[in-house]
Amino acid sequence: MAVRLDYIVKETANNIVRNPSLSIATVLTVAVSLSLLGAALVIQQGVSGLNTRFKDDVEFIIWINNDASQEQIDSVQRALDDSPVVKNSTFITREQTFAEFEEYFAESPEVLAAVTPEDLPTSFRVVPVNPELSVVEQLGRQFTPLPGVRQVDFAGDYIRRLNQFSSAASITMTVAALASGLASSLLMYNTIRTALFARRREVEVMRLVGATNWFIRVPFMLEGLLQGLVGAAFSTGAVYALNRVVGDAVRGADFRLFDSFALDSGQLWTITGVLLGAGAMIGAVASGVAVTRYLEA
Amino acid sequence: MIKLENVTKEYKGSSIALKEASAEIDKGEFVFLVGPSGSGKSTFLRLLNKQEVADSGRVLVNGKDVGGLHPWKVPLLRRQIGCVFQDFKLLPSRTVRENVSFALEVIGKPKHIIQTQVPAICELVGLGDKIDKYPHQLSGGEQQRVSIARAFVNRPVILLADEPTGNLDPQTANGIMWLLDRINRSANTTVVMATHDRGIVDTMRRRVIELSNGSIVRDQSRGVYD
Repeated sequence: MAVRLDYIVKETANNIVRNPSLSIATVLTVAVSLSLLGAALVIQQGVSGLNTRFKDDVEFIIWINNDASQEQIDSVQRALDDSPVVKNSTFITREQTFAEFEEYFAESPEVLAAVTPEDLPTSFRVVPVNPELSVVEQLGRQFTPLPGVRQVDFAGDYIRRLNQFSSAASITMTVAALASGLASSLLMYNTIRTALFARRREVEVMRLVGATNWFIRVPFMLEGLLQGLVGAAFSTGAVYALNRVVGDAVRGADFRLFDSFALDSGQLWTITGVLLGAGAMIGAVASGVAVTRYLEA
Repeated sequence: MIKLENVTKEYKGSSIALKEASAEIDKGEFVFLVGPSGSGKSTFLRLLNKQEVADSGRVLVNGKDVGGLHPWKVPLLRRQIGCVFQDFKLLPSRTVRENVSFALEVIGKPKHIIQTQVPAICELVGLGDKIDKYPHQLSGGEQQRVSIARAFVNRPVILLADEPTGNLDPQTANGIMWLLDRINRSANTTVVMATHDRGIVDTMRRRVIELSNGSIVRDQSRGVYD
């Protein structure tokens, strides 16, 4: 059966124009719920791409006691050089540490004034052959008991803490997105029911003269789909804005740890696709169900 | 054309609407359904285009068992059956032309067919000069003519009319009956009309099926109201 396009377009437009406030409410809830989903996706992408190391591939840092003897330092150095799983290691002198310190606290002269190179520890920065977290930790712990070693810091520790925080945030967002997704589906359902009620005489006549259920359904589903897509478009805008803010913050920082939170355009397109798809689906499915239930009642 | 075989229909929580009713109506017949309110006239009509489904017994239209019809075939059945109601069921925001066109649009008829058939049918029912008026600008009789035009524009083989003259004065009602009679005779359309209107039934002298408490108590060709 030929479904006439002009008829569908006309009917869909009529439905939307007839009840603007409800259409706007629907679009907004869809936008809010999909923005939450978008934020959850951004976090998820950021976490999965997290850089698991310090600058220059350094996986852990061995801090040396200030009162350690030169032999103790040398023995640590030897242990590092002899280890087949250490790719390379660099000894950082007090002066080098102080230079970094100066850089970090350049804007706090009062901190700098209170510190001299002698107050700062020396350290080894280690790049292992295998960057896997468990291997790195096992390797690093071998150095903890050596004489003259104060402590070993793992990049992985920070990553793990960050991971925990991010996944908690991501789960919270996803739950919120699901809840508000449900809310927008229900609102969509009610919007379409209201539209059906407003057009109940038309629908009655359509059924009597033998219009198929699909013919009756399509304009309403299209209305839902359109509202879902507009809401999704707003949420995509929100994700781009979020990415802009995060991206600026990440690029402004002097560590590269969070670089993965600034998404590239490929990742953004993926998220855009997911959001538009979700919006279209909420719209079409909720309105389709509404019409089907109305026609079966 | 239409056959009811021992049809029983009961609405939940109320008395029985149709009880073991059997009747056969041939193509081109004009049949009055008479009886007091609640005697089962409307149910009789509603079973024919599957607005209701019988609890037991069979309803056959064009040789097909309506009750067993697959849901997606119901629209095809309804395209062969025009309906006219006491309250016209016109769409108030559409003109005469648009109301009649609507019935063709929603079953996917192409535009050029709509553009030729709609003015022709409006002419036939005597509303050629009011085709661009809205329902509220028309009298009751004229509105019923629009609704007949809408029911007949797709050339159905059966026309069901549920108290089509119930809201009209006798003069206007006669005009509507003249129109239904013409549709019946000229196009050989089977017409089944439920009515309370004694005068019309007695004047027309067509077949009369009388219902009482859901049972067919009389089936008489060239009958009168009682």
